[in-house]
Amino acid sequence: MDTKGFIRETIEAIREEVKGKALMALSGGVDSSVCAYLSHKAIGSDLYPVFIDTGLMRLDEPAKIKETFKEMDLRVINAKESFLDSLRGVEEPEEKRKVIGNLFIRVFEEVARKVGARYLIQGTIYPDRIESEGGIKSHHNVGGMPLDYDFEEVIEPLRDLYKDEVREVARALSLPDEISERMPYPGPGMAVRILGEVTEEKLKIVKRANKIVEEEIKAYNPWQAFAALLGKGTGVKGDRRVYGWIISVRAVESRDGMTVNFLRLPWDTLERISFRITGEVPGVSRVVYDITPKPPATIEYE
Amino acid sequence: MGNRIVENDISIEELLSEDPDGIILSGGPTLERSGRSQSYLEEIDLPFLGICLGHQIIANTFGGSVRRGKEEYAEVEVEILDGDDIFMDMPNKIKVWSSHGDEVVEISPMLKRLARSDICEYEAIRHRERPIFGVQWHPEVYHTERGEKIFKNFVEICRG
Repeated sequence: MDTKGFIRETIEAIREEVKGKALMALSGGVDSSVCAYLSHKAIGSDLYPVFIDTGLMRLDEPAKIKETFKEMDLRVINAKESFLDSLRGVEEPEEKRKVIGNLFIRVFEEVARKVGARYLIQGTIYPDRIESEGGIKSHHNVGGMPLDYDFEEVIEPLRDLYKDEVREVARALSLPDEISERMPYPGPGMAVRILGEVTEEKLKIVKRANKIVEEEIKAYNPWQAFAALLGKGTGVKGDRRVYGWIISVRAVESRDGMTVNFLRLPWDTLERISFRITGEVPGVSRVVYDITPKPPATIEYE
Repeated sequence: MGNRIVENDISIEELLSEDPDGIILSGGPTLERSGRSQSYLEEIDLPFLGICLGHQIIANTFGGSVRRGKEEYAEVEVEILDGDDIFMDMPNKIKVWSSHGDEVVEISPMLKRLARSDICEYEAIRHRERPIFGVQWHPEVYHTERGEKIFKNFVEICRG
């Protein structure tokens, strides 16, 4: 792809489209970060980057994002309770995605009213649209997003790019490696890595397990590596029966996320992950490794 | 040669107004959603490459049959039986990625089989007289071996 041409044309297009102030929906992932940098170049201080702390992010992630974007005057909105409240009792995966997509927009609308912004810029990429429009899964920013939003316009500068192309743009913009090479992370966060209802207890467990998985698999350069919480099963810890949580470890390689295969990790690494998760995360009594490619599975569980 | 992506239900006039050198029929969920693909095949005299659903549409259009078959997902080893044109300069066996529940189970004398696997006997076909080719797998995805070569070969076929 012609990266330089893309950057030039996109900045011009944003400048052309935005008449006034714009909110930037920032998650800290590579897509929204690239979008934020391009938009910042286009409209400067008329851009209001907003990060919503949903409580569904990885451990310590909100703090890291604040640090990375400190030069951009990032607004961090604590919406943990609203998200947890809205998700109470919701078990169906598509319903979950819609609840989250809806809440995202409502929170952005509220901030927009306060600062007087009429535009929302978000980092939707091409596969988000393919999967939403094809009925595979509703991404929070496309199929899961309500259509009655109170913005003059929603602008998606990366809507025709694949992930690997977004990374090329990130490198061309000289963004730090921790952004350009950042592992993809789903918009609805840990909510789609917990099968069934999202509760505080499950969130705590899956976040801790996820951190261990990321630490142990980092060296293998995965496209994505994470932990998901599947359900409960019987175990025995210290001669006592436990009915504990089952954690699935997922680690995949890919070019663009459209097809993926599982990583052929050494047994020693897998063993260490299982040992650490069952030892360090209370309530977990079983760890499994997911060996399904995409297709037929998707990368994330819901 | 550039490329344009269009919906599969635009009119033939609209399609031809793009001045195409060849047409690729992409994958998709079901034959019911094949739009006007069949009429493009019947009425437009240009090279075609059908992928997955596109391959099944080709079989269907020229008198073959498509049925719910053994499902294939991810890696499949395919044996190429005829290495001309679309499979020019490719090895006899390649590992490809598939994702389908329906399959071509029968073709008419108008068509010729080009490749098979242990799961599906019609992994690739062509029209005997016209430059129309179908592959059941997905040459466009990263995990398919030599996928790009198939597109390059198709471009050569379009150049005539």
